[in-house]
Amino acid sequence: MIEEYLEKILWTYMFFVMIATFGVSIYGIVFRPNMLKKIIALTIFGDTANVFMIFIGYRAIYPIKPPVLWTSHPDKNVLNTFVSQSIDPVPPALVITAIVINMAITLLITFLAIQAYRLYGSLDVRDLSKLKG
Amino acid sequence: MFYLLHLVMLVLMMSIGFVFAFLAIMERDLLKAVVFSAGQAAAYVIVYYLLMSPDIVLAYAAIGVGIYSAVMIIAIKKTERYEKV
Amino acid sequence: MGTREKILLALIIISLALLAVILSFGALGAVPLKTIRPLGSFYLYFMANNNIMIQEIYPSITKPSDFWAASTEGVTAILWDYRGLDTLFETSVFFFAIIGSVSVFRYYSASLEEKNKKNTNNSSINTKTSDQGLSLIVKLITRINFVVIIAVSASIAFHGQLTPGGGFQGGATLAVAPLLAIAALSRYFVEDVGLKKNTMLTIRTLGLLIIGLLALAPLIMGLVGGNPYIMENQPKSWAMFIGFPSFGLGVLLGSLAFYNMAELLAVGAGFTVVFLLLTLPEEFFKKILSREVGEQ
Repeated sequence: MIEEYLEKILWTYMFFVMIATFGVSIYGIVFRPNMLKKIIALTIFGDTANVFMIFIGYRAIYPIKPPVLWTSHPDKNVLNTFVSQSIDPVPPALVITAIVINMAITLLITFLAIQAYRLYGSLDVRDLSKLKG
Repeated sequence: MFYLLHLVMLVLMMSIGFVFAFLAIMERDLLKAVVFSAGQAAAYVIVYYLLMSPDIVLAYAAIGVGIYSAVMIIAIKKTERYEKV
Repeated sequence: MGTREKILLALIIISLALLAVILSFGALGAVPLKTIRPLGSFYLYFMANNNIMIQEIYPSITKPSDFWAASTEGVTAILWDYRGLDTLFETSVFFFAIIGSVSVFRYYSASLEEKNKKNTNNSSINTKTSDQGLSLIVKLITRINFVVIIAVSASIAFHGQLTPGGGFQGGATLAVAPLLAIAALSRYFVEDVGLKKNTMLTIRTLGLLIIGLLALAPLIMGLVGGNPYIMENQPKSWAMFIGFPSFGLGVLLGSLAFYNMAELLAVGAGFTVVFLLLTLPEEFFKKILSREVGEQ
């Protein structure tokens, strides 16, 4: 009884922490003037979204295993045990591409920021917005 | 019992990640902000490990802690270090 | 901070707190579940299973070999077989992100080649490059690590269909090796080893070409013989293509092994191109930009 109650509290706390991280990163994206700081906040937002995706595929049971089968010639019992203990493999498969592609997009944005600094000598969006032509 | 222990470790790592993310956003010195962001990535690597996704641990440990911080440090060296208020 | 920004901040905080409350009361269903979702359970049952009838659980499926991926690793099986088209288009997004990064530098590439020509004529500069960087111990360890990281990334990628790992993970690990060498030695060391920008672009394009050909080969064969099926891995009873070889489980497992190797090349070489461009000395750009301003 007390364990169920504790579990509920811990999961609720986890969601609040996750949403708070979203909030902090949105604050960084919207209110911080420096472009590199905006990029850092954007990656934090993306990472937290990915963690949330993985949470959806997680299962609230204890003997839990990654979706990797330990034998190459499974029979019926092995498969049933495996499915009863493994996490959902679909969210990790979606997240793994998202992480690598996010990194490539971050590199592209960083390049553009460096180029803007070369041309205009500033990374502050307030300075960049005053430029004309 | 073990399930609760697992959950407590998960909560702890998420909280550490949140603290590092907060410090990274609030820090004026961009170099320190990148280091805090790498700390957040390291905490999330352990979160992914506890959530039983070894594939993501392999990719994210290399990208989040290694490539991302190196690229940001190079970018800071090429541009400016301190954020204006 | 003005009034408008304060209102914006308050709105963000209120909406996020509301979202947290809704989530903790189970808006997405009970997250996390105690049971597994039907789609995930289907993939887990069939990914390594081509001979056992699971009639009690899936009575409608009489031929499991139509649905197997010849892989003991769930994530790789979904990544390159069940949800293969998704990954194909994600890879094309990666392709265009790297192309965009390189095209920022396209403007400078002509001047860069000019500079390289001058450097090769004046060979005394090249011999001095070994003096740059950190101390001897760091340099030696980095040289050893450079080889070790490449070997580890290859092992991560080539075992991708049996153990945790795969093309994306191996490629990300592979990209650390040139980064480490650039940081500890210099970017001239990396270029002397043979990892030049154009070579890396060629390797990356080669990897993407292999992925495209592997994905389209069953479709083309199907167009000739009837019943095309894109990204076919193992033989399907309704399609023409005979499938990629899987000599039991454990040797070479269908198209997944080839996809992983090609993705290793594409991701690793793509990131290396970007690092080589990113670590060009800034004086070089300043010189070109000041010349441009002078011409105008």
